[in-house]
Amino acid sequence: MSEDIEIKDQAAREAAAKVAEYEHGWVADIEQEYGPKGLSEDTVRYISAKKDEPEWMLEWRLKAYRHWLTMPMPDWAKLNIPPIDYQNAYYWAAPKKKDGPKSLDEVDPEILRVYEKLGIPLAEQEVLAGVEGARKIAVDAVFDSVSVATTFRKELEAAGVIFRSISEAIREYPELVKKWLGRVVPMADNYFAALNCAVFSDGTFVYVPEGVRCPMELSTYFRINAENTGQFERTLIVADKGAYVSYLEGCTAPQRDENQLHAAVVELVALDDAEIKYSTVQNWYPGDAQGKGGIYNFVTKRALCQGKRSKVSWTQVETGSAITWKYPSCVLNGEDSVGEFYSVAVTNNYQQADTGTKMIHNGKGSRSTIVSKGISAGHSQNTYRGLVRVGANAEGVRNFTQCDSLLLGKTCGAHTVPYIEVRNPTATIEHEATTSKISDDQLFYAMQRGLDTESAVALIVNGFAKEVLQQLPMEFAVEAQKLLGISLEGSVG
Amino acid sequence: MLQITNLHASVADKPILKGLNLTINAGEVHAIMGPNGAGKSTTGYVLGGRPGYEVTEGSATFNGQDLFALDPHERAASGLFLGFQYPVEIPGVSNLQFLREALNSQRKFHDLPPLSGGEFLKLAKEKAGLLKMDMDMLKRPVNVGFSGGEKKRAEMVQMGILDPKLAILDETDSGLDIDALRICGEGINAIMRKPDKAVLLITHYQRLLDYVKPDFVHVLAGGRIVKSGGPELALALEEGGYEGVAA
Amino acid sequence: MITLPTRKAEEWRYADLGALETLWPLPDAESVTVAAGGEFARAIVNKGGVVRLSLTLEAGAKAAVHVLNTADTYARIEIEATLHEGADFHLGGVQLSSGDQTAEIVTTVRHIEPNATSHQMIRSVAGGTSTASVLGKVYVAKGADGTDGSQSVRAMLLDRTAQANARPELEIYADDVKCAHGCAIGELDANGLFYLAARGIEPARAKALMLQAFIAEAFDGAAEKDNLTAAAQAALEALL
Repeated sequence: MSEDIEIKDQAAREAAAKVAEYEHGWVADIEQEYGPKGLSEDTVRYISAKKDEPEWMLEWRLKAYRHWLTMPMPDWAKLNIPPIDYQNAYYWAAPKKKDGPKSLDEVDPEILRVYEKLGIPLAEQEVLAGVEGARKIAVDAVFDSVSVATTFRKELEAAGVIFRSISEAIREYPELVKKWLGRVVPMADNYFAALNCAVFSDGTFVYVPEGVRCPMELSTYFRINAENTGQFERTLIVADKGAYVSYLEGCTAPQRDENQLHAAVVELVALDDAEIKYSTVQNWYPGDAQGKGGIYNFVTKRALCQGKRSKVSWTQVETGSAITWKYPSCVLNGEDSVGEFYSVAVTNNYQQADTGTKMIHNGKGSRSTIVSKGISAGHSQNTYRGLVRVGANAEGVRNFTQCDSLLLGKTCGAHTVPYIEVRNPTATIEHEATTSKISDDQLFYAMQRGLDTESAVALIVNGFAKEVLQQLPMEFAVEAQKLLGISLEGSVG
Repeated sequence: MLQITNLHASVADKPILKGLNLTINAGEVHAIMGPNGAGKSTTGYVLGGRPGYEVTEGSATFNGQDLFALDPHERAASGLFLGFQYPVEIPGVSNLQFLREALNSQRKFHDLPPLSGGEFLKLAKEKAGLLKMDMDMLKRPVNVGFSGGEKKRAEMVQMGILDPKLAILDETDSGLDIDALRICGEGINAIMRKPDKAVLLITHYQRLLDYVKPDFVHVLAGGRIVKSGGPELALALEEGGYEGVAA
Repeated sequence: MITLPTRKAEEWRYADLGALETLWPLPDAESVTVAAGGEFARAIVNKGGVVRLSLTLEAGAKAAVHVLNTADTYARIEIEATLHEGADFHLGGVQLSSGDQTAEIVTTVRHIEPNATSHQMIRSVAGGTSTASVLGKVYVAKGADGTDGSQSVRAMLLDRTAQANARPELEIYADDVKCAHGCAIGELDANGLFYLAARGIEPARAKALMLQAFIAEAFDGAAEKDNLTAAAQAALEALL
């Protein structure tokens, strides 16, 4: 129409004015037992002893710790990281009394209430009492340093699937753990991985034997509850030949003024024809609107697609944490192996996210797909950093990468740093990146149909992220959609 | 239903509407015609509450409520539907998802329970049928990849589903071929030609008015209504042009 | 930079550091300021060594730079462009490497004010055990709304021992921007080669023709298009 006049953008006017309310920001009052404050060989020994670990495990930890001491903190990511005082943190915090509940009845009811509050179906009967036809999800819940409950164990065992806290697995399946632990992410891989090797407290171990399709979704919920505590969980998933498993990971932490450290390591191994689907919804406390507090989320996630036609698919929805530093990656050694990375990262207020993936193509005919959707608001910085590498002997490799950024407001940043390194002429590598914003027209159109500003923003953002969200198992997709909306509350005025 | 009194409005500090008066009662169909730049689309946007369209003077009451005190989504929930001349694309969000969310937001505003997926689908199917639109179209993202005519038909489907009290249709006829024009016209009649509803058509041409017969025709020029009359006025305009009438 | 860089420095990640040492210290970049509303055109043919050009485009200025980068051992072209309001920067580049050569084009385009446009198109061909790299960066400052910046990077590998690297980076601090980059690495289309063969063109010639077509678009709009194309063709023949 003739009055097609540019209307000035009002976005982000109130960006910092509102504190996006963090719904998991409460602290549960649970009696905690702490290890020694600060990091030393004694701390490492304390943790190992607490967990009743075999000698080889302690030696492994100490070796990692000594190596860690020699490593400098990385500075290459586009992050502004305040110095971390490793001596002012606890590396072990556990709900008092029992460190290994044998059944749900033994779990502190207060902890169960915490998980209930988080909406986690910890008690099996709750799940069974759910909607008819609802899929079962086996849950391992890690509370600060220890795994408090693993559900559906019997049913999984009948299928031959081992689903344990990693502490239990070290005791019960030492050979399996020894064989693969540190194989995908060597202890010297990076600063935070080495730290994790030294002080990891708990986590999850999954082994799916040859030809078995895991009968249900497996899930771990991580919760940092104690003050001044780092969480260093360790996850190891091995899918033997022809096996299939879908694994979900969810994270929350209470609202605190000081920063807390989360340095996890996740290792996945897929043998011939095996498939692992790994989904994360990360909602650690992001800090307040002024950037105070929040979790430092420094995570090393890597998959070894060792077998022919093996497949690993990473899907992540990252909305929380003050700082996120993670690159779930695939080493595609197997012929015709497949790596996928689907990511939505939302940053608001003063959050910083530096996330992406590495696809290392060594196997002939290996393929990878990368879809990254970054959404920045407030004063946040959101970076995609990725690497696609094709080795000289990897014939017929294909990669497709799509990186899209959505900016809400004029005080945030969106960055794309893709590295592409190709040594084989038969590779077909395609990379595309775009940057956009929510237009005033879109917003007004949605509002004219009856949506308020926040619903309209949430709807448009969900549309932007759809390609990724549809990769999630249904239960998670719904949660993730809501999270996107909540994380961006107040970001458009 | 809608009473506009001495409405003045500016866009980027440039006055566009300069004393518009208009009263629309339930059961009526009005048409606003006028040359380019007269303020026709501005009228629709101001009533819809588009940011940047600033009311500098005057008032509008909609079913007894002060329209300008409401946010755009509250105006929508109160029953005001704006058919866009250029419907906006929303990638990744299907029409069905969009409309279900919009409808349930509006229902929530009136303390009504949300429609279930099944109920909503039934409603959507019925309204899409009215506009001869394939349900598959509604599964596609909002307006993405739609032709001009498809967008306009989709707007009418939206109107059918949201079931407003007052529809302000901004050049709904542009971009339509003869068949689509007839389908849209019949759709408007089926959805809006009711004793408790009203329509304000904003158009350049007579042709839509052949299908949706207006009770009143107004000529907008220089930001105010310079002439009002019955359907015969539209025909006169078609023959004599705006110049003769607006002079 | 006073000391020799290491591979940890992102801008030198793929450089031939041994060759660089013989060239050290590098000369300062040639600095050119294009006055408001002015126009600037430059064609650079680098046959080895490091060429550095730093441009500042004042409001409404236009610059078109076309480069051909070939190496005896190591060839690097660094171009920096700072764009003020409404400026327009165009870069068309071709690099050809063979043997154990290393060729790289490193660009940093800074949109520091609104409504500037930049378009970069680089085509690389690498054979032998050579390495051809493109490190491009588009930076959009806070408030530089209306920015339109594009990067198109494509590379062809002729041998399985050759390497192509690309890093088309975006660093964006404004929300009303159109920034896109596309990157593709691959080999010559087998169907195309067959089509030419079926018309009676011998394989080596067919390959040359297709590579010529592949690099040609990078010199579109260049004032010295014919010269550049001729130089590129000669280099290409030598490479094949």
